[in-house]
Amino acid sequence: MATSSEEVLLVVKRVRQKKQDGALYLMAERVAWAPEGKDRFSVSHLYADIRCTAMATSSEEVLLVVKRVRQKKQDGALYLMAERVAWAPEGKDRFSVSHLYADIRCQKISPDGKSKIQLQLVLHTGETTNFHFTSESSAMKDRDAAKDLLQQLLPKFKRKANKELEEKNRMLQEDPLLFQLYKDLVVSQVISAEEFWANRVSMNSVDHSLTNSKQEVGISAAFLADVRPQTDGCNGLRYNLTSDIIESIFRTYPAVKQKYGENVPHNLTEKEFWTRFFQSHYFHRDRISTGSQDLFAECGKLDEQGLKSMVGQGVRNSMVDLTSLEDKSLDEGYGISSGPSTSSHNKTLKENSNAAIIKRFNHHSAMVLATGLRKQDAQNEQNGETSSTDGNSKDSDFFQPSVKKVKLQEAIEYADLEQENGRKPVALNLKKSDRYSHGPTPVQCQQYATSQDIINSVNCIRHEIADYTPRLTQVLSSSTASTAIAALSPGGVLMQGGTQQAINQMVPNDTQCELKHLYVAAGELLRHFWSCFPVNTPFLEEKVVKMRSNLERFQVTKLCPFQEKMQRQYLSTNLTGHLEEMLQTAYNKFHAWQTRRMLRKT
Amino acid sequence: MASDDELSLLVIVVDVNPIWWGQQAQREPEFTLSKCMDAVMVMSNAHLVMTRSNKLAIIASHCRESHFLYPNKHWKAGDFAGDESSCGSRDGKYELLTVGNDLISEEIKNLMERTEVRGQQTETLLAGSLAKALCYIHRVTKELDAGQEMKSRILVIKAADDSALQYMNFMNVIFAAQKQSILIDACVLDADSGLLQQACDITGGLYLKVPQKIALAQYLLWVFLPDSDQRSQLVLPPPVHVDYRAACFCHRNLIEIGYVCSVCLSIFCNFSPICTTCETAFKIALPHAMKAKKKKLKPTT
Repeated sequence: MATSSEEVLLVVKRVRQKKQDGALYLMAERVAWAPEGKDRFSVSHLYADIRCTAMATSSEEVLLVVKRVRQKKQDGALYLMAERVAWAPEGKDRFSVSHLYADIRCQKISPDGKSKIQLQLVLHTGETTNFHFTSESSAMKDRDAAKDLLQQLLPKFKRKANKELEEKNRMLQEDPLLFQLYKDLVVSQVISAEEFWANRVSMNSVDHSLTNSKQEVGISAAFLADVRPQTDGCNGLRYNLTSDIIESIFRTYPAVKQKYGENVPHNLTEKEFWTRFFQSHYFHRDRISTGSQDLFAECGKLDEQGLKSMVGQGVRNSMVDLTSLEDKSLDEGYGISSGPSTSSHNKTLKENSNAAIIKRFNHHSAMVLATGLRKQDAQNEQNGETSSTDGNSKDSDFFQPSVKKVKLQEAIEYADLEQENGRKPVALNLKKSDRYSHGPTPVQCQQYATSQDIINSVNCIRHEIADYTPRLTQVLSSSTASTAIAALSPGGVLMQGGTQQAINQMVPNDTQCELKHLYVAAGELLRHFWSCFPVNTPFLEEKVVKMRSNLERFQVTKLCPFQEKMQRQYLSTNLTGHLEEMLQTAYNKFHAWQTRRMLRKT
Repeated sequence: MASDDELSLLVIVVDVNPIWWGQQAQREPEFTLSKCMDAVMVMSNAHLVMTRSNKLAIIASHCRESHFLYPNKHWKAGDFAGDESSCGSRDGKYELLTVGNDLISEEIKNLMERTEVRGQQTETLLAGSLAKALCYIHRVTKELDAGQEMKSRILVIKAADDSALQYMNFMNVIFAAQKQSILIDACVLDADSGLLQQACDITGGLYLKVPQKIALAQYLLWVFLPDSDQRSQLVLPPPVHVDYRAACFCHRNLIEIGYVCSVCLSIFCNFSPICTTCETAFKIALPHAMKAKKKKLKPTT
């Protein structure tokens, strides 16, 4: 309640604050707010404490205000509202920067070590806005508070429909033909966008599922070595952990993942967890079990057990089982009997530590290999407990004796060295094979010469050639030569067929391109049209009528201007005859269907 | 340098069917075999003179044999100096041309003298002459120096009609020429020849039916003298439309749509339940009654 000395300058009822109904009281020296029904102020600010007020629309609720935020080198305050984030310069009460959460694609923060504490908003359009937090005391806290709030709010506003839009955009960008078709049909409003996408989006979702099943990237066996520590300058070590490395560690050592799940974020922060991890002897070379409250001591024990079980299972694939290749001694002089070489009594300390490292290496490699198979097993079996993931190759399960035999046989036999015992093919039995040797020439000579004619001709030619002397200066007279040349010149008798074949050289390239686009667009429309027949449902009836009007519209808006353009260019070739024929066929079909429908109705 | 030039070999196959030429002499006395040989000689001289490294061969295609008119087996390049009958060139012509022309005229006279036509051998052995031409080209290619390349083409001057019996051989020759990248050009004097049209189409040569026989030399020099590289730069008569229709095995009619036996690949114009070539029995399903058009079909009548 206001103290008795305070003068209430303004009371505004029905004012909500933090989702509670109440009233706002402007007093002489402060502004205060009390929830409805209560008589105590829950919010009270002296005017002296207020730097500036924000212009929010009446329905907006301000979730967070951060003062001392610079944007573009201007001081101001950042306001996070219910649906947008905005910034107002100091002293002003209008927002100069305002972004809806729906427009924001993601936010970025400056790394911790930098002197400037910044928050960047990246919009869907690619624009970025930077906010610099300059409060001396609490810049980091402010920034983190803003970041956390945005992190919670942004996912709510992600447009779900955007995904489809992005998909469509991607399709249009990838396929220039589709893009051209889209431009021709939808942009010029011949058909609507839904019709255009109606057939395509279904194809699209199939593709999407196909592209999702990409191959998993395996784990590099050296990932632990990549975590190279750097000296911090003051006796400390910095480990740079990327999310890839963290993922590798989790996938290879599921025990660590389990520990992570148990402890973070309840007991330890992420940073502390990893610090402990790297400090623990689990990670280090020499695993001396300390028995302390090391978080990871258990992991060490689990690993030992895992390794022992792996060794115990042995190698099932008898083709690669080296342990079975031992000399077995029959008698003196036959073979060597080898005693067990791995007795732990005789080992020196060095050998022991070497053995430990080798054991760790083997275990690490086995775990890395197992990650690849674990995925398969997880898909095959519901509960992965009975799967033989750690240490066994999958095919060892299948190595029965028969399979081994088959494998051996494959290795020693070559198919093309075998004897051929194929089936005998059916023989071709041709009765009149001389028919093949006749070409498309007439069976008999066109001209029939009597034997007398033949004799006469032969005698005649013999006489003529007997007196033959070449007279090369009198081979050609100039008049015959010039008629021959005239016949061979362009436009002459013999040159008539030439111009018709060069149609693609006569028509300019851009006209050809335009014609191609027209064909593609017309083909698309005609496909929609003809797929409506036979017209069984009312939906198809509507569609047929719509498609006919679409075709007409196409003809008017696209085909006729093209024809006029061609006429203006004096192209005599009829390039659009076929298109018109196709459209006319469609119109005729529609007309026939319509008359039949009318007849049926009456 | 001469060694860098690509050699060009032209083989002219002249159809000297005596029956046709004899009849031609009676029909049109102003254009006889003599005139034709003169035109051929002009063309061959022109070819030899174009480039020093050009080569030539002329084959006469008779109804009983194919005979090389040029070059002669017994002639060598340096022979003419000692020959009595020819004392150099009489009209100042390049000696090689003189000798060549003399050779050709002598050979054609010998060939026609020993002509004897027996029985039904009235058709020109064109396929055989083309095969000889291909063999000659092959031999010359083998005798080239290392690094030399040669382009060859065959010019066929055809007078008489096609022989139906030579169809298979002819097609084999054409495909062999195509494989060897040898052009076959055709200059047809009388009736159009479907086989030569196919040959020119397949090998990439030129086919020309000469409208005026007396201007033969002009046509030969204009159309057939340039080789294939030069032809791309010139405006020459456009290719003829070739009729590639097959002939049915039953009537030898040319058909566009027919029935083919799936066993022996013989072509028929009508359906018959048994193939007459290989005696396989066939069943054919009758087409269903046509329902309303479902697909976008072009109306064909």
